[in-house]
Amino acid sequence: MSIAPPAPPARLRGALAAGAPALAVGAAVVLLWQLLVTATGVQSFILPSPTDIFGALLDELPTILRDARVTLAAVLLGMALGGVSGLLGALLLTRLGRISGPLLTVAVILNCAPVVALAPIANNWLGVTSIWSKACVAGLMVFFPVLVNTTRGLRDVDTLHLELMSALAARPRHTLLLVRLPRSLPFFFNGLRLGAAASVIGVIVSEYFGGPSQALGVYIANQAALSRFAETWAGVLAASVMGLALFAVVAGCESRLVPWQRHRHDGDT
Amino acid sequence: MTAPATTTPRGTAAMTATDDAPAISLTDVHKVFPASGGQSVAALERIGLDVRPGAFVSLLGPSGCGKSTLLRIIADLTAPTTGTVTVGGRSAREARLARDYGLVFQQAGLLDWRTVRRNVELPLQVGGVSRAERKAQAETMLDLVRLGDVADRFPWQLSGGMQQRVAIARALACRPQLLLMDEPLGALDEMTREYLQGELLRIWRDTGTTVVFVTHSVSEAVFLSTDIVIMSPRPGRITRRIEVGLPQPRTVEDRTSPAYFETVTEVRKALHAVMAEEPA
Ligand SMILES: Nc1ncnc2c1ncn2[C@@H]1O[C@H](COP(=O)(O)OP(=O)(O)O)[C@@H](O)[C@H]1O
Ligand SMILES: [Mg+2]
Repeated sequence: MSIAPPAPPARLRGALAAGAPALAVGAAVVLLWQLLVTATGVQSFILPSPTDIFGALLDELPTILRDARVTLAAVLLGMALGGVSGLLGALLLTRLGRISGPLLTVAVILNCAPVVALAPIANNWLGVTSIWSKACVAGLMVFFPVLVNTTRGLRDVDTLHLELMSALAARPRHTLLLVRLPRSLPFFFNGLRLGAAASVIGVIVSEYFGGPSQALGVYIANQAALSRFAETWAGVLAASVMGLALFAVVAGCESRLVPWQRHRHDGDT
Repeated sequence: MTAPATTTPRGTAAMTATDDAPAISLTDVHKVFPASGGQSVAALERIGLDVRPGAFVSLLGPSGCGKSTLLRIIADLTAPTTGTVTVGGRSAREARLARDYGLVFQQAGLLDWRTVRRNVELPLQVGGVSRAERKAQAETMLDLVRLGDVADRFPWQLSGGMQQRVAIARALACRPQLLLMDEPLGALDEMTREYLQGELLRIWRDTGTTVVFVTHSVSEAVFLSTDIVIMSPRPGRITRRIEVGLPQPRTVEDRTSPAYFETVTEVRKALHAVMAEEPA
């Protein structure tokens, strides 16, 4: 009867237990990769070995970290812009009544569009070296999933709850603040999680088309142009870690702010 | 009846009891639902019902006979097609806006993101009651349903029966003179159900509220009610009203008394008569 949320150590152990098989598979893939490269003697410009890549990463770590910080700033700015505007857009959309349906459909379609393709245009409009041109692309990539998901959440309210609020003679403001917004929080985070990974892609690709001299995307593009493939792969690895870390941070915030949803995912009624 | 919502439950009960006005009065209420295919559904027909203050009235009838619809009309969640409804001497709408009644459904309908205490506080928060007063009032109500020790838990950490008790505490938070309940124990197992029936009677006595209780269980209606209103299948009409003569306060022993079985039999017969009847 007294089911408390699992204590942090237990939860950590649970996460490790869940992650262990994935980790093992990952290690096996890296090992296989290493064996394949050494056994076949494939040229390093086609595929460098994992040891080459890790070596390059260690050598280049100061540069990569410095550049990653610039990229991360653009990503975070984009996520903030996209998250806030997506949330506000969803609130606006639910107030528009009849045209909100078609507008949402348009948003869903735009959500499927390759927003990254706008990178050269954003560079053109906002300046190649400006953080705003990168944040704008990332922001759009966060905006659409947050908008679409949050709008769903704002509508996915239990009719029982609406009836309850009506029986309490609640004003629309109360229903929004006390029922609709909390209800949509898990949906908002779902959108933000999708956006987190996408926004790293947005900024990196945007930087391929030109950016400030110190940026991870520019670093990757330059190393590739110089045929330094181990370094190129090291940059890609750093970018992947960044995407993964952001995803984890958002998921962490989510399980803290939306504990009831974690419980639902546990499969309990 | 202008007693402030903050008077003690006993006090309000005493005051309403001396008042001659019925707690609820329905006159010639009809309800027709327009259906999509052009064919409308007559859900309620010629409903006349007076509920005296402090009564425990059960609406009993086969499913689909319009019990929920009738309750929702009293709660002003849906409007009657024709007819008049007064609750505590005012129109149903005025009563709703004044938060004169508390409502409990078959599903507890608690807000997952709020602790038990904050769920009970909800009606008070909507009503603009100060934070400190809200908390004190919620704690009083949680003590009333004997859930003071789980005030800081979340709904999903409670059993179904406990959730339903929280829903009852929430319905009572504004100290309404009327409690409307739509099959509140319908989703619970037999044991929990019987326990909560006893609890409900105790709460009813302690607070002195008028209760309108929807059920399709004969034994539940007989054990709980002062009056049982029997409804016919669609279109729902009130075919009989049976006063339950069992002594108050009722105890578990009353469930096995001859008088109890007599009343159960009487109600069963009335229901069978209604079911055999051809709809008009
Ligand atoms: N919103 C509605 N629209 C159309 N028909 C409805 C609606 N609500 C109830 N009904 C119909 O009215 C009748 C009575 O329903 P209800 O009051 O829920 O019955 P009960 O609670 O006794 O099971 C049923 O035939 C049902 O289909
Ligand atoms: Mg019903």
